[in-house]
Amino acid sequence: MRIISAAIALLLAGIVPGHAQNCNVNPELVETSSALQRVNTAVTKEGKLAILVVSAAPTQVGQASGLKSYPSFLEAALKEKLKETNVSVFAFAVPREPIGKVLKALPGAIREHKPDLVIWQTGTIEAIRAMDPDVFGDKLMEGVSLIRADKIDVILMNQQYSPRTDFMFDGTPYTDNMRWVAQSKDISLFNRYEIMKYWADHGVFDLRAMKSDGTYEKLHRCLGGLLADFVLRGASLPGSPDNHRK
Amino acid sequence: MPPIAPGTRDLRLDFFRGLSLWFIFVDHVPGNIMTWLTVRNYGFSDASEIFVFISGYTAAFVYGRVMKERGFIVGAARVLKRAWQIYVAFVFLFVFYVAEISYLATRFQNPLYTEESGFFELLQKPEIVILEALKLRFLPANVDVLPLYIVLMGFFPLILWGLLRRPNLTLAASAILYTVARYLDWNIALYPWDRYWFFNPYCWQLLFVIGGWCALGGIDKIGRILRSRAFLALCILFLLYAAVLQLSWFIPGLTRQLPAWMHVLPLNKSDLSLFRLAHFLALANLVVRFVPIDASFLRSVWARPAIICGQNSLEIFCLGVFLSFSGHFVITEISSRKLAYFLVSLAGILIMIAVAALMSWYKGLNRSVEKPAPKKNLEEKIA
Repeated sequence: MRIISAAIALLLAGIVPGHAQNCNVNPELVETSSALQRVNTAVTKEGKLAILVVSAAPTQVGQASGLKSYPSFLEAALKEKLKETNVSVFAFAVPREPIGKVLKALPGAIREHKPDLVIWQTGTIEAIRAMDPDVFGDKLMEGVSLIRADKIDVILMNQQYSPRTDFMFDGTPYTDNMRWVAQSKDISLFNRYEIMKYWADHGVFDLRAMKSDGTYEKLHRCLGGLLADFVLRGASLPGSPDNHRK
Repeated sequence: MPPIAPGTRDLRLDFFRGLSLWFIFVDHVPGNIMTWLTVRNYGFSDASEIFVFISGYTAAFVYGRVMKERGFIVGAARVLKRAWQIYVAFVFLFVFYVAEISYLATRFQNPLYTEESGFFELLQKPEIVILEALKLRFLPANVDVLPLYIVLMGFFPLILWGLLRRPNLTLAASAILYTVARYLDWNIALYPWDRYWFFNPYCWQLLFVIGGWCALGGIDKIGRILRSRAFLALCILFLLYAAVLQLSWFIPGLTRQLPAWMHVLPLNKSDLSLFRLAHFLALANLVVRFVPIDASFLRSVWARPAIICGQNSLEIFCLGVFLSFSGHFVITEISSRKLAYFLVSLAGILIMIAVAALMSWYKGLNRSVEKPAPKKNLEEKIA
C-alpha cells in the first residue's frame, strides 16, 4: 500500500506536467494540540495577522516576501486563504548562533514587529554544537514564557531531516526538550523532522542530493503550505482543508 | 545472586552484554525503525546502562581476582593495559569518522542544509582536531561510550583497590562524587564550541562502581531485600510506569491522559538521571531473578551468538560503530524503506556474530599454543 501511494506520489510530482507538488503527509504529523487564540482574534476582529519566524538560519532574514524559503510561502498561502486579512510574515534570525543569543535578541524583535504569532525554529545549531539539552530546554522555556507573557501565540519547529548529516549529530534530545516545553506551555510543535522524513520515506522528495537539485524551493513551498494549514487549524479559522472536521 | 565459583563465568553477563552491543548498533543507525526491538523505547534506561554496568561488573570480577592473588601492581598493570587497548580502538574509529565527514565536507553543498553544513566548521583546523581527539577532547558521534570506558579503566586500579578493602565506603564515595558533580555541573569540556562529554564520567562512574560492588559480593549483603516480594512489586510498578511514560512520547494524545506529576521526561542521559539509574537497577533485579545463573537457555545454541559477542565486547562494540556508519551509508544511498532498515540491522548483527566467532576461534588458538592454558588470561581478554 505504501509503495503504491509512493509511486502515485512520484507520478503526480514528476510525470504529470504542471501538476502541483504533492505535499501530503500523515495527518497525525500535523495535528495541532493547542488553540491559537491570539491568531483567531487578530484575524476575525482586527483584520490583520503578523507572524514572526524566529530562527538561526542565515537564509531566513527579512520580510518574508523577499525570501525563497518557507516563511515566504507561508505568507503567500495565508494571503490566499485569508483574503480579507492583512497578513505579514517577517523572518528574524540570529544566524548560526545557539539559542542563548536568540533569546537575548527576542524581546527587541517582538517589540519591533509586534507579532500575533511567533514560529520558533530551533534545535539545529544546538545539536551541531552539542549544547547541553537541559540548558537548551530551560532557555527555550524562558523564551516561550516571555512570548506568552504578552499573550502572543507560539508554534515551535524542530530541526530538518537531513539524511546525509544525520549520523554526525543527534537532534533527538533537542526535539524531546521542545516537546517538553510544548507540553508544559500548552503550545504546538510543528514536527518538521518527521514531516520531511515522511516525504523522504514515501518518495515525495529525495533529500540525499549532494548539490542543488531544485528540491529546495519545492520543499519550502510544501512546508509553507502545511504550516499555513497548521496555523489556520490551530486558530479554528476557515480555509484549512479539514477544518470542518474539528 | 549465588556466589560464582572461581573460574566459572556468569554467562548472563556475556549474554546481556552481547545483547546490549546489538542494541547499541541498532540504535546508532539514524532513523532505524528497528529500535522498537531494543529496550530504548520501553523505559528510561537503554543499552548504554546495560553495557556500563556489566563492564564494571566483569572488570571487578576478573581484575579483582588478579589483584587479590598477585597484588596491586600486577592488577593495576593489567587494568591499564586494557585501558590502552580501548584507547587504540578509539583512535581507530576516529580515523574512519574523520574520513567520512571530510568526504562529505568537500562535496556536500545542498542549499537545503546550509545550517547543517555548519558542522563542517569543525574541520577548519584539522591539526587541532587530531590533537584534541588524541587528548579525548574531540569525540566522534556514537563512540562516546569508549572515552568513558577509557577513563573508568584508567582510574579502575584505585576503584578496585577500594572495592576490595572497603566496598561500602568506596560505593559511598562514588555516590558522593555523582551527587557533587550533578550539583556543580562537572563534566569534561570538548573542542570546539561549548561542548561537553556526552557520557559525563563524573556521573556514569557510579553505575560502573555499582557493577563492581555487586561483583565483589555487595549483592549478597542486600540479597534478602532484593528477593523480597515487596521490592519485586516495587520494581515491576516502576518499570510499568517508565514504559507507559516512554510510550506516551510516541503516541499523540496519550500524554494528555496522564496526570501532571507523572511527567518526568525528558531525562538527562549525559548526567545519568536518577530515574534512568533506578530504571536500570529495577530491570537488572528482575532479570537476575527470572534468569538464574544456571538457566539451561544460556548453554543452548540460541544464546551462543549473543554470548560470543559479549565475550569480545571491545572489538564488537567498535565493529558496531563502524557498521552503524556503513549501515547509514547504505540506507542513504540505496533505500530508506522499512525493509532496508530491517535488512541493514539484520546484516549488521550477523556480521557482528561472525566476527565474534572468528575472535573466539583466535583466542582458542592462542590458548592451545600457550601450553599452560591459563584460564584467567582468557577472561582478562574478555573483561
